[in-house]
Amino acid sequence: MLMEIADTLRTKLDPRKTLNSLRGDADSSNSLTGSGPGYDSGNDPRNDSEPELHKERTDNSDTIKSSRNGKAPLIKLTDVWKIYQMGEVEFAALKGIDLEIYEGEFVVVLGPSGSGKSTLMNLLGCLDVPSQGTVSLNSRDISRMEESELAQIRGQMIGFIFQSFNLIPTLNTLENVTLPLEFQEEEPSRARERAEYLLDVVGLSDKHKNLPSQLSGGQRQRVAIARSLAVDPPVLLADEPTGNLDSKTGDYILEFLDELRRKEGKTIIIVTHDLTPVQYATRVVHIKDGEIEKIEEVEGNYCKL
Amino acid sequence: MRNATYVKMALNMLLHSKLRSWLTIIGIVIGVGAVVGIISLGDSMEAQVQSSLADMDLTKITITPGYSGAQSRMPGPGGGGSGSDSSSTDSELTDDDVDALQGIDGVLYIDTQISGSEEVDYAGETATLSIAGVDPQVWQYMNTLEVESGRLLEPADNNVAVIGSSVATEIFDQEIGVNQVITVNDKSVRVVGVLEEEGGSEDRKVYMPLDSAVDLIEDAEEDVFDSIVVKVEDEDLVDPTIEEIEERLMISRQIHQEKDRDFSVSSSLSMAESVTEMTSSMTLFLGAIAAVSLLVGAVGIANTMFTSVLEKTKEIGTMKAIGAKNRDILLIFIVNSAMVGFVGGVFGVMLGGFVSTLFPYMGITLMKGAGSSSSSLSPDLMVFGLGLAILIGVVSGAVPAYRASKLKPVDALRYE
Repeated sequence: MLMEIADTLRTKLDPRKTLNSLRGDADSSNSLTGSGPGYDSGNDPRNDSEPELHKERTDNSDTIKSSRNGKAPLIKLTDVWKIYQMGEVEFAALKGIDLEIYEGEFVVVLGPSGSGKSTLMNLLGCLDVPSQGTVSLNSRDISRMEESELAQIRGQMIGFIFQSFNLIPTLNTLENVTLPLEFQEEEPSRARERAEYLLDVVGLSDKHKNLPSQLSGGQRQRVAIARSLAVDPPVLLADEPTGNLDSKTGDYILEFLDELRRKEGKTIIIVTHDLTPVQYATRVVHIKDGEIEKIEEVEGNYCKL
Repeated sequence: MRNATYVKMALNMLLHSKLRSWLTIIGIVIGVGAVVGIISLGDSMEAQVQSSLADMDLTKITITPGYSGAQSRMPGPGGGGSGSDSSSTDSELTDDDVDALQGIDGVLYIDTQISGSEEVDYAGETATLSIAGVDPQVWQYMNTLEVESGRLLEPADNNVAVIGSSVATEIFDQEIGVNQVITVNDKSVRVVGVLEEEGGSEDRKVYMPLDSAVDLIEDAEEDVFDSIVVKVEDEDLVDPTIEEIEERLMISRQIHQEKDRDFSVSSSLSMAESVTEMTSSMTLFLGAIAAVSLLVGAVGIANTMFTSVLEKTKEIGTMKAIGAKNRDILLIFIVNSAMVGFVGGVFGVMLGGFVSTLFPYMGITLMKGAGSSSSSLSPDLMVFGLGLAILIGVVSGAVPAYRASKLKPVDALRYE
């Protein structure tokens, strides 16, 4: 669906301006918000936090399926356990997690190391299946799926952003961004067009042929973001995305992600131990010792900027 | 994922691979080169054998005195038998034996021969050459020799000789022509013919009528022969005729048991067969040795692929995270290892071609100098070499690639 936006944008704006408009206020970039066919501006309210409903939901998740303006949750974890066998000893990394994440949310999962947040991220990203309980994505239960099915779902639904960028070092910028589309068997010319557009959006249109090693950390993370957007997934899952970046670059990346949420309706999930992303969050999930300690709603976050 | 993408990714891996991978490729280059080179050598040897067999008269049966099981199967080259054998055994072939052979169905001619090495003088130079005394009545009908100049021996000839081409042009500084006189054991012999070049020992022979040769060759006696050569009508008659000859000679020589047998019967046909057999078994043997080096190369590929998978664990994890299926990873690595095989194969075939053209210069010409059949690689062999290399790449890359494809994304991503 972003393809259409791409065309609109390309004709109107040069890359630098595109970026500015993405970061600027919503009004000036109506080309982005308005032209995505799958994006309905009437859905905006669902981004508003509704404290009572949320509280209720966490109390009794089963009965509140119709929360958020009647929308089913995008990702839903029900009594999820993850148990690792460490020699003789069993270690529970997650102990009965219940969590629902809705479309268009900016969720920060906050926890110290060893809290089980990485395990949680793996489950949210369909990289792993729970030992017990169910994880459903778009109302599909992924808990018992085969690896190939999971790969399919990951490839279409989730864009990964890693702390250490995880670009393929032997592929140039453009090829890195094209790669997810190739796994989805997108037609090569369209894939290339899409990748070029996304590199435009992240402001790296002059770096197509550069290898990751020839880019700065911030540039690499922008390539990684472009890559995560390649298949236009509804969810972006970021694992300490600013961990390897200086604070200024980190802020830029976070702002960019926030823009994606607000203009494109992407669901952003950031797993971190760092408090910086919290300021962009619509919801903060505190996790400790494999359990959800508390869930904080942040009201009207998007107005803050 | 599309096939073109597998190729692209695998090629990317290959192009960015480290020195280690290229060293691996050398292993395959050597293996394929050795196999291709040896097969090509075997082919050209076989071609040589075939071409000399084509020249050979396969309807001749040679009877020589003395017997051992092996000797009858593997006679010395030249078909005429070596005369020195007769002195080492008590038995000899005589007129009686020739008489016993008369009247066998399908036999065209019977030639009696003696042979020996004697000193030949010409224009002040001396050389020791092998002299063959042949029956001038039939000799000219029994062989495929052609004269370069002059003529073959004729029944009425006495004290004349037909000489091989090397005798005429190479052995003596001064060329010997027709009607020149050479001296054999102090006796003058007139040259009546010079043979065309045959290749091999035939070129260094001097042929004379039997009666004249008996006078010249030491130890030679009247009516005692070093070999009896029988020519039959047709190749198919060779085997039955051999049986018939053996039977008749056993009776005429009054031999009752196989172990007392004192003569050998061999045919150029069985000799040709055994030479062909020997060539192919030699090729097989050398090929087996070459195959070992190919096997070592395959292990090298497997080893490098394992290391490469380990090295790329995190990339594999990343690719899986962004939607690569197990099958995608498997195929990327297999195509990569097939490419390693392919590159090794290309260079290997080149090496093999180079080696096989070198062999003749290293003196490895099994057959007589008729090495006109150039040992260039046939297209079939090139395709075979390449195919083999790719196959080895795929086979030795299969296990590492499978391992890579089965990596759990979570574990792979965590790998540093």
